[in-house]
Amino acid sequence: MLISALLIALWAGIAGIDLFDGLTHIHRPIVTGLVVGLILGDMKTGLITGATLELVWMGMVPLAGAQPPNVVIGGIMGVAFAILGKLQPAAAVGLAVPFAVAVQGVITLIFTIFSPIMHKADKYAAAADTRGIEKINYLGMAFLFVFYFVIAFLPIYLGGSAAASIVSSIPIWLISGLKIAGAMMPAVGFAMLLKIMLKKEYIAFLIIGFILVTYGHLTILPVALVGTAFALYDFFASKNRGDGSSKKEVMSDGI
Amino acid sequence: MESNTEYENPIPVKVITKKDLNKMVFRSLLLQASFNYERMQACGWLYGLIPGLKKIHKNKKDLSNAMTDHMEFFNTHPFLVTFIMGLILSMEESKQDRETIRAIKVATMGPLGGIGDALFWLTALPICVGIGASLAIQGNIAGPIVFLLLFNALHFSLQFGLMHYGYNTGVKAITTLKESTKKVAHAASIVGLCVVGGLIASYITLSTTVVITAGKAKVALQADVLDKIMPNMLPLGYAFLMYYLLKKGLSPIKLILITVIVGVGGHALHII
Repeated sequence: MLISALLIALWAGIAGIDLFDGLTHIHRPIVTGLVVGLILGDMKTGLITGATLELVWMGMVPLAGAQPPNVVIGGIMGVAFAILGKLQPAAAVGLAVPFAVAVQGVITLIFTIFSPIMHKADKYAAAADTRGIEKINYLGMAFLFVFYFVIAFLPIYLGGSAAASIVSSIPIWLISGLKIAGAMMPAVGFAMLLKIMLKKEYIAFLIIGFILVTYGHLTILPVALVGTAFALYDFFASKNRGDGSSKKEVMSDGI
Repeated sequence: MESNTEYENPIPVKVITKKDLNKMVFRSLLLQASFNYERMQACGWLYGLIPGLKKIHKNKKDLSNAMTDHMEFFNTHPFLVTFIMGLILSMEESKQDRETIRAIKVATMGPLGGIGDALFWLTALPICVGIGASLAIQGNIAGPIVFLLLFNALHFSLQFGLMHYGYNTGVKAITTLKESTKKVAHAASIVGLCVVGGLIASYITLSTTVVITAGKAKVALQADVLDKIMPNMLPLGYAFLMYYLLKKGLSPIKLILITVIVGVGGHALHII
C-alpha cells in the first residue's frame, strides 16, 4: 500500500503542476483513471471511473480565473476509492467531490498567500535579477507539487474515512471567508493598473467598459471592440485635425 | 517628473531569432507557475519573456525598467498568450515607449482571455474529452491516448503558430507605430481602460447577504436595494477603495491583508 500510495502521490504532484503549468491535460480524470488504475492493478475500473468522473468535470473549467472543484484530487480520489473500496463509479464521484471542493478552498488560500511574494518579485525585477524571477516561479511549482503529493498520499495511505473527518474538521466559515476574500482580491491588481494608466481623459472609457459588462452583460472581447471603435475614431479624428503630435502630453502621474 | 519611457540605449535592435521564439513558447508553459490573486500571471509572464528581454536590453537600467513593467497585473488565456508575447517582443526590440508597450499588453490580454475560454475550455476540451471518454467508459485504453493526442496537437500548434504570428505582426506594424507613438499609446489606452472597466465588473465578486427586517417586510440589501441602484456596485466601490488607498501610499501587501480581513471577517459577521 505504501508503494502504491507513494506512486499515486507522485502522479498527483505531476498532474497538479500540469493543471496550471504545461496544460498538456494529463491531469484530467480520463488520463488519471488509466494511471491510477495501472498503479492499483485494475486498469479497466480505472478507465471506466476516470471516464465517468470526466463527464462530471467536463463543464468545470477555470473560467475567468474562478477555480472549479479541484479536478486533479477529485479524479485521483475518485478512481482510487472506486478500486480500493470496490465502489460503483457514481458512488466514487460522490466521495471525490467533497475532497475536490476542500482542495479548491485550499488552492484559493495558496493563491492568496502567493500575493505578497510578488513584492519580492518586484524587487528582483527592479534589480534586473532574472535568476530571482525564475526562482520564484520554480518555487511556486515546487510548492504545488508538495501540496498535491501530501494531499493525495494521506487519504490513500490512511484510508478514506480518516481523511474525510479531517476535511470536515476545517470550519466552513473560514474556508468560505477565504473564498470570498479571494474573489475580491483582483481589485488590488486593478487598482495598481489604474494607478498607472488612469488619467482624466480616460475615465470616460473606464465607465463605458464597466457599464457594458454590468448592464449589457457583454464579455471582454466585445468591450474591447467598443473601445477599439472609440480609439479608431479618436486616432483618425486627431490626425485630420492635425493636432496629434503638436499637443505635448503632461504626465500627471508619472512613475 | 521623468517618465520611464526613456531608454538608456534607445537604438532599436533586431536580435530575436526563430529559435528564441520557440524557446519562449516552452517557457510560456510556466505562465501560471506563480499564479496569485494580486497580479495573477504577471510573474510567470515575465518568466516567459526573460530570454528575449535579456537579449534586447543589454543595458541593465533598461532591463530593469522592462522587467518592472512586466510585473504589473497580467492575465490572459494560457494558450493564446504566445501571440501577446510575440507582439510585445517585437515592440521591445524596436524600443517603443514603455507606455505604449503596456497599453498594447493590457488591450490584448482581456479579449484573448475571453476568446481562449470560449475556444478551449468550452469547445475544444469538451470535444476532445468527449471522444476520449466515449472510448474509455467501455474500458478501452485508447480513450486517454486519443484524448491527449487530439488536444495537444491543437494546443502546441496554436502556441507555436501564434508566437511567430504575433512577432511578425508586430515587426510589420512597427513603422506605423513609430510615426505616431503618442497617438497609438493614446488609442491603446482607450481600449485598455475600457477593458479594465469591463474586468472590474466581471472579475471582482463581492455581494452582501444582509437582509433588513422592518416589521413583516424583509428587504434583501443586495437584490432589492443595491442591484436596483446599480449591479456590481460593490466590486466597483471596492476597486476604487483600493485605488484610493494605493494613492494614499498604502502598500499592496497591506491592501491584500485588508482584503483577507474584510472577506473572512465580513463572512463571519454574516455581512458578505
